Amino acid sequence: MNPILVLVRKDFALLLKDRVSIMLTFVVPFSLIYLFGQIFHVNSPDPGPSGIHVGVVNQSDNPAAAALVDALKAEKAFRVVTQYVAADKSTRPLAEGDLRPLMRADEFRFALVIPKDIIRSDGIGIHLKTYSNPRNEIEAQTVNGLLQKTLFSNVPELLGQSLEARARAAVGSEHLERFNSAVASAAAREFGGDPNRIKADMSAGNFGFRRIGESGAGKATPASDALSNIVKIDNVQVAGTDVKSPAATMLVGGWAVQFLLFALTASATALFREKESGLFQRILSAPVTRGDILWSKFIYGTCLGLIQLTVLFMAGHVIYGIEIGRQFPYLILVCVFAAAACTSFGMLIAAVSPTRESASGLSTFAILLMSAVGGAWFPVSFMPEFIQRISRLTLVFWSMEGFSQVLWAHATLIELLPTLGWLTLITVLIMSVSVWRFSRGRIFE
Amino acid sequence: MTASSPLISAKGVIKRFGPKTALDGISLDIAPGEFFGLLGPNGAGKSTFMSLVAGLRGLDGGTLTVAGEGVAAGSASARQSLGLVPQHIALYPDLSAELNLRIFGELYGLRGSVLGERLDRVLEAVQLADRRKDLVKTFSGGMQRRLNLAAALLHQPKILLCDEPTVGVDPQSRNAIFDFLKKLNRDGMTVIYSTHYMEEATRLCSRIGIIDHGKILALGSIDDLLARLPFEEEIRFPASAETASLASELPSFGDVATVEGVHQFRPRPGYALSAFYSLTERHGLPPRLFTSQRPTLEALFLQLTGRTLRE
Repeated sequence: MNPILVLVRKDFALLLKDRVSIMLTFVVPFSLIYLFGQIFHVNSPDPGPSGIHVGVVNQSDNPAAAALVDALKAEKAFRVVTQYVAADKSTRPLAEGDLRPLMRADEFRFALVIPKDIIRSDGIGIHLKTYSNPRNEIEAQTVNGLLQKTLFSNVPELLGQSLEARARAAVGSEHLERFNSAVASAAAREFGGDPNRIKADMSAGNFGFRRIGESGAGKATPASDALSNIVKIDNVQVAGTDVKSPAATMLVGGWAVQFLLFALTASATALFREKESGLFQRILSAPVTRGDILWSKFIYGTCLGLIQLTVLFMAGHVIYGIEIGRQFPYLILVCVFAAAACTSFGMLIAAVSPTRESASGLSTFAILLMSAVGGAWFPVSFMPEFIQRISRLTLVFWSMEGFSQVLWAHATLIELLPTLGWLTLITVLIMSVSVWRFSRGRIFE
Repeated sequence: MTASSPLISAKGVIKRFGPKTALDGISLDIAPGEFFGLLGPNGAGKSTFMSLVAGLRGLDGGTLTVAGEGVAAGSASARQSLGLVPQHIALYPDLSAELNLRIFGELYGLRGSVLGERLDRVLEAVQLADRRKDLVKTFSGGMQRRLNLAAALLHQPKILLCDEPTVGVDPQSRNAIFDFLKKLNRDGMTVIYSTHYMEEATRLCSRIGIIDHGKILALGSIDDLLARLPFEEEIRFPASAETASLASELPSFGDVATVEGVHQFRPRPGYALSAFYSLTERHGLPPRLFTSQRPTLEALFLQLTGRTLRE
């Protein structure tokens, strides 16, 4: 056989013996392709995000307002929250005063308030108010776009209905009917068409405003400008208003956690180097226990992670102007908990892997997958709802949450506690499994 | 523990790895100040026994005590009395020799000036004092082996466990290590030395245990062990076409083994050497082809197991 073919056959034979290479070659890309496909709704007849929580407060008794809430509920992208659930599980309609605390607690990051004066008294038009926490730029732009689309698709009809209702209240039903009949007849005479159909449209509030919205909803066109003049939306940003470098502040958490995971997993898998060189034999023949070795690795990893994150955020401060000064103690606190969680993850990889090579392959796979699912690459709200639930079980999600709370929302210690609690829980669970695996494994033999 | 009681005592020690029995009822005593050799081929169970003595693994049966204390418990005092020289060069190659020793010294609780003095002493003893600041990875194999040994001595153990400490070492460094170990033993340290080199065991050890398949096959001083052989002289000659007919005739008079191109003839009791030389004359072979020497542990191992130590 040709020597080149012999050597090629040899390489394939080696590949087939190397499970790690096979996993990196086929399983990792397949998993990520699947995840990306889910996120971007590839081949889905109904593309776009789904289930983004949006708080809606309806202060108006105008039927048009209730119709708008129904329109939002019908939008697949949104999961509309209209009820406030108290600690004792009792519920009541959501009030505007509930929005800020709920949004700081990340129950939802976008909210719509339909005020009592939805129909403007200073002219023809509608008045709405939105609350947003745009801590993720992609998510904020997408949600605002979807919200506008929903509003502009429904507002024109609502506007017509409101005009009709106001006219009916002002002149009475009988006069309005006569007025509509006269206008419908005149319009049919001058422009053609069925006067009964025209009258029915007028009674339903359909004055053709929808065509304005259809021609330019969400775009900077004269038509949409006209619509935006009719729909007045006041926006209230509940967090990040005084953040000097919003784009960098939004990004830094995700990148920081990824680098941390790679660094600390590499550090934990150094256990294999020490095993192979017989160092564990030497160390364990001294008055040192296996537990001492494991906890030393944990403490080392946590310290290394803390230093790495601090340096990273300092660099972000110098290069991109990320503000860390005011929140520095809380940032350090989150860094410690995130570093501990990432270290425990590295220890788990080392504990479940039979060799250094398999640990390396497994960690690459797990880190990429966890970063994607945890929201380091895309907003979690863009993912299918079952992945969103899984996302909340990852340390990437909670670490990013902590960084965002500190740097974006300037959270207080009390507000941080649930996030730190989740990170602690994840650390304890992973470390327990790791220690159990280490005690049964042969890394120390 | 009394003065006469053994420093290390193994009674019926069993160690299994899954279905494989690595140590199958090992029993032996090692007295204080002994230079004890554990001789056997690769996979015989030497390293497993060493790891049990060092408290790195638990026993599956029997008892094992060091200075009267059970090692299975892995007590701090038992570990303080032991120094392990692992088979691998168990050092951090990217750190200096001094920092490596400092780390291992501190694991044994040494601090400050005491640690400093010990560092100076062991580096001097292994002739690496002038390289103390150099990274271990820049050392030759022999220097790394010497430092590997030094790391086990910082805490001044009573017992030194050397698990094949000269693997891959050049003859000069090997001699230096041997001399150093002998000196340590003369100074009162008990040394347990595992090897598959018969020459090392013969040169260093006052008493030897021959181990194979997890069992001690023979135990005693060199003279005791060699006295078990049924012949006093072993005759060696090259395995060639010229000697083939003689070699085919010899099994009637004793055992013949061929190792690395050399026939080794061990005559049966009562077979006179004069009869052998008459036989060589009959085959027309010149006397210069034949050497006669005192039998070695290799011969004993062959007789005990039917295999050579290198197989």
